Amino acid sequence: MNNMLIIGQYVPGSSFIHRLDPRTKITIIFFFVFFIFFANSLLSYGILTLFSVGSALATRIKVSYIIKGLTPVWFLILFTFLLHLLVTKDGEVLFRVFTYPIYTGAIIQGTAISLRFFLLILVTSLLTLTTSPIEITDAIENLLHPLKKIKFPVHELALMMSISLRFIPTLLQETEKISKAQASRGVDFKTGPIKERIQAVVPLLVPLFISAFKRAEELAMAMEARGYQGGEGRTKLRELKVGPLDWVALLCFILIIVALFVTRK
Amino acid sequence: MDISFKNVSYVYQYNTPFEHRAIEDLSFSVKSGSFVAIIGHTGSGKSTIIQHLNGLIRPTSGSISIGNFNLSASDKPKNLKELRSKVGIVFQYPEHQLFEETVAKDIGFGPKNFGIGDNEIMERIQQACTAVQLPNDLLERSPFDLSGGQMRRVAIAGVLAVNPELLVLDEPTAGLDPRGQQDMMDMFYQLHKQKKLTTILVTHSMEDALKYADHVIILNKGKKYMEGTPTEVFANKDALSKVQLDVPEVIQFLHEFKERFEGEITYSNQSIKQLASELTNQLKGLTNNE
Repeated sequence: MNNMLIIGQYVPGSSFIHRLDPRTKITIIFFFVFFIFFANSLLSYGILTLFSVGSALATRIKVSYIIKGLTPVWFLILFTFLLHLLVTKDGEVLFRVFTYPIYTGAIIQGTAISLRFFLLILVTSLLTLTTSPIEITDAIENLLHPLKKIKFPVHELALMMSISLRFIPTLLQETEKISKAQASRGVDFKTGPIKERIQAVVPLLVPLFISAFKRAEELAMAMEARGYQGGEGRTKLRELKVGPLDWVALLCFILIIVALFVTRK
Repeated sequence: MDISFKNVSYVYQYNTPFEHRAIEDLSFSVKSGSFVAIIGHTGSGKSTIIQHLNGLIRPTSGSISIGNFNLSASDKPKNLKELRSKVGIVFQYPEHQLFEETVAKDIGFGPKNFGIGDNEIMERIQQACTAVQLPNDLLERSPFDLSGGQMRRVAIAGVLAVNPELLVLDEPTAGLDPRGQQDMMDMFYQLHKQKKLTTILVTHSMEDALKYADHVIILNKGKKYMEGTPTEVFANKDALSKVQLDVPEVIQFLHEFKERFEGEITYSNQSIKQLASELTNQLKGLTNNE
């Protein structure tokens, strides 16, 4: 069903990016997203592009798969670019499309913004491509731990996140199963007037909700039966460990940020 | 409806790291009016075959013909809806597809989608209820108030109400108690006989395959492993055990009888009573010789 979209899809592997501590990855990406807005010269953009594309290659996931998966985002990037082309009026008039003037500034800014956008999406999707949802929630729980002091329900939040992440594929599967069963009974999801197509969703949604509620109830029961009682004093099967690899990655990232500031205009 | 598969392969998530070949170079044919059992382990491609039968998916390569409809990678039948009205599929746990307010509405949902008139729908609901032995006083109840077995009957009635020419059953008895399983299979067999329904049964149960089918196809890892009449297929115990499949109890018993007493009884659809008398005859013969 969602063959095209890779955002949120985890591809198991053993590259060094896969093996990094999820906290390292989240930290690096968090600061990357922040620092990308400081780039303003050709060289600084070059460095950031090199970093992102390099990391993408280092995951050893097929490049064609990553590119294909970003398809829906391409349109957004193209749209951003065109919007800048038409609206920005900096610099000289480069050429005219019919009578509409296109400025040099528009091209530069359009390219810069689209590139930023592309790099943002690429790097953040690398996180989910190389990190299993469980690792991500573990890392978030760990990183948010200090908030416990102000009575923020960190563990509960992490649990909610991991449960919902865990059930996304299950629900997708269920949706596919039910929609196939209903399609066999003559429901047409793909053609016909809008009104009928909206009505066609009812035979899909009702069974889906019913099974989701049932699942939730069963899960809650199973957790209680096994004595689940929240985060206090609970140990973990997978302990997060920061290794030498993580220090190397962090150091590289810091160097790149330094280089970014050096090459700024 | 005659069905034929020619060199059909299907690959899930083609061209991604999750590429998964579900069936490979599969060819078989099913004669109109026959009862075919498809047997294989989980992941052998049974459910994938089923989804081809009414055009839910199309083969990655190869071609399929179902009655007058043709399916292949490039060939999409123009009238999928017509195909779906002729092929009724009872999926695994069909009760999960129920959604209407009343049992009657849910059973009538399929026929309504295929453009059947209101009066005829009422008739079909009645017929389908009789066929699945569902008491009439349940018709105005909510399907979600029923027991599991009744819900399944409602869902099956919903498929039968479309009046399909080909009935496909994907482990229709999973999760029922032994008595319910027996009843349900007998019901399908009766329908098959009465309405001359071409029936395809996907199952784990060798007993059911032996009892009801006139043709058996064994799948292993997406490929056809064996094919023939139940007696032919189940006679080959060694080949079956190679892919971790058992033979039905009756045949297993005859095998053991042969090893123990060197008596020879070949299974050819005898009833248990007939077999018993054959056995006693042979055993008497043995004692007389001594």
